[in-house]
Amino acid sequence: MPDWKEEVRRRLSRLNLEPAHEAEVVEELAQHLDDVYERSLKAGATEADAKQVALRELADADVMQREMRRSQKAAKEPLVAGGGRTNVLADFLHDLRYALRMQRKNPGFTIIAVVALALGIGANTAIFSVVNTILLQPLPYKDPEQLVMVWEENAKQGYPTDTPTAANYIDWRDQNQLFEGMAAIDVASFNLTGSGEPERLDGRRVSATLFPLLGVDPQVGRVFTAAEDQPGSGHVVLLSYGLWQRRFGGDAGIVGKTLTLNGASYTVVGAMPPRFQFPTADDEVWVPIAFTQEEAANRDSHYLTVLGRLKPGVTLAQAQAEMSTIATRLQQQYPLTNTDLGAVITPLHERIVGDIKPALLILLGAVGLVLLIACANVANLLLARAAVRQKEIAVRVALGARRGRLIRQFLTESVLLSTLGGLVGLAIAYAGLIVLKVFIPENISQARAISIDYKVLGFTLLVSLATGLIFGLAPAIQSVRFNQSETLKEGGRDAATGGSGKRLRGLLVIAEVAISLVLLIGAGLLINSFLRLRNVDPGFRAENLLTMKIVLPEPKYEKRVTRSAFYTDLVQRVQSLPGVRSAAVTTNLPLYRQGNSISVNIEGRPEPPPGQELIVVTRMISPGYFDTMSIPLLKGRQLTDQDTDKSPNVAVVSETMARRFWPGEEAVGKRIAVGRARSPEDWINVIGIVKDVRQMELTAEPAPQMYLSYRQYGFFDAQDLVVKTDVDPASMASTVRKAVWEIDKDQPVSNIRTMETILADSIARQRFSMLLLAVFAAVALVLAAVGIYGVMSYSVAQRTHEIGIRMALGAQTSTVLKLAVGYGFKLVVIGIAIGLIAALALTRVMSTLLFGVTATDPTTFTLISLLLIAVAAIASYIPARRATRVNPIIALRYE
Amino acid sequence: MPYKLSQMLDRELKKGSAELLILSLVEDQPRHGYDIGNLIEQRSRGRLRFNVASLYPLLYRLERRGWIQGRWVEKAGQRRRRYYRLTAEGRKVLAAQRHSWQEFVEAINRITGIEHA
Repeated sequence: MPDWKEEVRRRLSRLNLEPAHEAEVVEELAQHLDDVYERSLKAGATEADAKQVALRELADADVMQREMRRSQKAAKEPLVAGGGRTNVLADFLHDLRYALRMQRKNPGFTIIAVVALALGIGANTAIFSVVNTILLQPLPYKDPEQLVMVWEENAKQGYPTDTPTAANYIDWRDQNQLFEGMAAIDVASFNLTGSGEPERLDGRRVSATLFPLLGVDPQVGRVFTAAEDQPGSGHVVLLSYGLWQRRFGGDAGIVGKTLTLNGASYTVVGAMPPRFQFPTADDEVWVPIAFTQEEAANRDSHYLTVLGRLKPGVTLAQAQAEMSTIATRLQQQYPLTNTDLGAVITPLHERIVGDIKPALLILLGAVGLVLLIACANVANLLLARAAVRQKEIAVRVALGARRGRLIRQFLTESVLLSTLGGLVGLAIAYAGLIVLKVFIPENISQARAISIDYKVLGFTLLVSLATGLIFGLAPAIQSVRFNQSETLKEGGRDAATGGSGKRLRGLLVIAEVAISLVLLIGAGLLINSFLRLRNVDPGFRAENLLTMKIVLPEPKYEKRVTRSAFYTDLVQRVQSLPGVRSAAVTTNLPLYRQGNSISVNIEGRPEPPPGQELIVVTRMISPGYFDTMSIPLLKGRQLTDQDTDKSPNVAVVSETMARRFWPGEEAVGKRIAVGRARSPEDWINVIGIVKDVRQMELTAEPAPQMYLSYRQYGFFDAQDLVVKTDVDPASMASTVRKAVWEIDKDQPVSNIRTMETILADSIARQRFSMLLLAVFAAVALVLAAVGIYGVMSYSVAQRTHEIGIRMALGAQTSTVLKLAVGYGFKLVVIGIAIGLIAALALTRVMSTLLFGVTATDPTTFTLISLLLIAVAAIASYIPARRATRVNPIIALRYE
Repeated sequence: MPYKLSQMLDRELKKGSAELLILSLVEDQPRHGYDIGNLIEQRSRGRLRFNVASLYPLLYRLERRGWIQGRWVEKAGQRRRRYYRLTAEGRKVLAAQRHSWQEFVEAINRITGIEHA
């Protein structure tokens, strides 16, 4: 019996019926034809005649099609209002099933596409969660946009935002009209003794107004009262949540208990909630600032941090204007101390996130570019696949499939890909954040709170969908916008190789190369900066140095003699330990704690006018300091044990100080005084010159520095012990600590770190941005290489036939190679040209992150371009090489 | 009457009456498509004939309108067949169509003067 089903199906095909429905119709009609056929046979017809009769039943196929289509359409009319949506949904589900089937059929394609997208989306998600937490999340205080920092401004002396003096703060606080209030904060540290190991705690002296200004309530107990913020009133303390939990086990009855801080007794009035921090997370205790009369009158020591809250409706500009007026009045009132001294306010948010912001924004831009490259890659893959599917599409269009419908289906496929990419990307982001948190500088506010929250999830979803549309649209439009007859003419061999398909793929490669070049140059500049930063001579040798902080509590070591005795004893004991080469104490380690500058006068010269004081970074050290730190002595002599409070005052100065203060003169032998010399004993003899040390930060040119003996001067407390070891410095930590406790079992030791760690931490931010950008640029390079390789493989595969003929006709391998590589190379060169122009424009935004190189550093630009050319050359050489190895016979049979 | 016109009228008549014919044939018992087509041909003594290409779209249309309902039925030793039965709504439609068809025929008869035998 003839196969009627095939006949029926052929006539129905134009209708594009839903497959299940089509099957039923085919079955029913075929059966009918069977019956007609059998009847004819029974009536005595030949098989051929019977077949003719049966087929005549289908004679009016066009009528059938028209009728069927009409009834189809009638069915599609919604039965109830709004029912039309079910069809869109049904279409979508259909497309989705189809797309899933397609992905399952091409696991290789799917894996490559999903991995590329996952890298792009994952990087974006990770960086966005950092940006989200640090830049977008409002600060955890009440109405944080009204909070500002108030600074002294002394641009002439190089301090655009300086910490104010207590007297200036009090004047500001009392004279302003536009602030709801101001609070002063001073850095303080406390030795906690009593039960358990002695411990050094970072803390702050704060105005009682601070917590109400921030709008933060304590977890238990209360904050300070105004009465407690007066000198001589009882010692009270607020604990951080962390300290309360860690040291006191979260004791609910902590309020009212007493602790011993710096040898004095303090009553706990409350504990702050978890995560409260102001301004950094290191602080564990707060005490009232309670200015003494002497402190309140001081206009010389600049050390306070001032927070203010603007009254509702007051703008920054208004508040700034008022503060400037007050500052001008103070200048006239106190010319000796306040000349050139202004006041400047900055939003709290800007202050807290300020210096990490440009780096984060650049990273966000960089991951955006990485994602674009991933999109270009996947678009390329889709284009190649669309070319393979060209015939399928042509048939479907011939059968009446609408092109809009086809585009929708292709987009469903690409969005499915990008959603899969998004899911895997989320996993990558999660893992990435764990790594990222290791590298993110600890002193960045909220760094610990970085996480993937619903906002990040929303961002990922949005990026995934947008990504799918971006990389899917071009191939989708491309694949349905072809000339049908041409497709048939070309016999389906290389349907989409010619014309716009090839052009589009070429453009994508150019874009990939250009974008990766921008990223690579950006990363190159940062790496270059970082290397230069690492090569900066800090002025000392960080190897084999162990450091720790030993802060002597006031009441116990009130007299300088007692403190000196402690340090002398300490240095002697530590130096005698096996494995220790030398040891010293200093007030401030370089690159670690800033500040401690004083103004000096030079003997025989008039006192400099206000605003032009000679400011010197000053350190009190023990005699072995220069040897321990390997700071070379350039002239004169070092401090020795013979320089005591009974002998003349001496100082060792830095080369910059010598050069700047005594230009063209011999500095050794000159005399200076701290402040005004009131008696002959106030003069300090310069006895030696040492090399400059980068005290503040590696990137800053060294300022004038001088070193005094802790035995002669005590205006800053020595607190850092530095030990040069013969062995791994970290391994000596407990031995050295034990030596401290042999002198005083209650003495806390903290911040035990190697000097190399301190050096590394001082450039943690630079390392952070450099590492991340380098990783992203590497991902971009790999993606671009894969993209170039893919396009080249494809174009070579399309030309296998041609290459085969050429080889068969005796063409040299090198000629064919040149031919094949030439195309890819042209694209790469165009891409690099565009990328260079874009990089010139874009790297300028990075200039604040750079050190020692300009944003248009020619070396970086050249090297990176060469690198990209090399990678591109390899990526196009491999497929080209393969093409020349093709056996001509096989190539010709490829047809 | 010129041939062309007669053919056209014939087609229109057929189309207008086709629904009625099908509904009538499945009124008493469910029938499959071949059966329906056969019965139309036999009972009209070969004057009315629907081929597959015109019969089935009609069946589907009636089914979509909810007047008849098709169902696959398997009988022992046979291939499954699709049987169409009249629905409750189809029954109403059939009654109405029958009525208006009769009125139409009577009207034509009165005009053309053809008397019932």
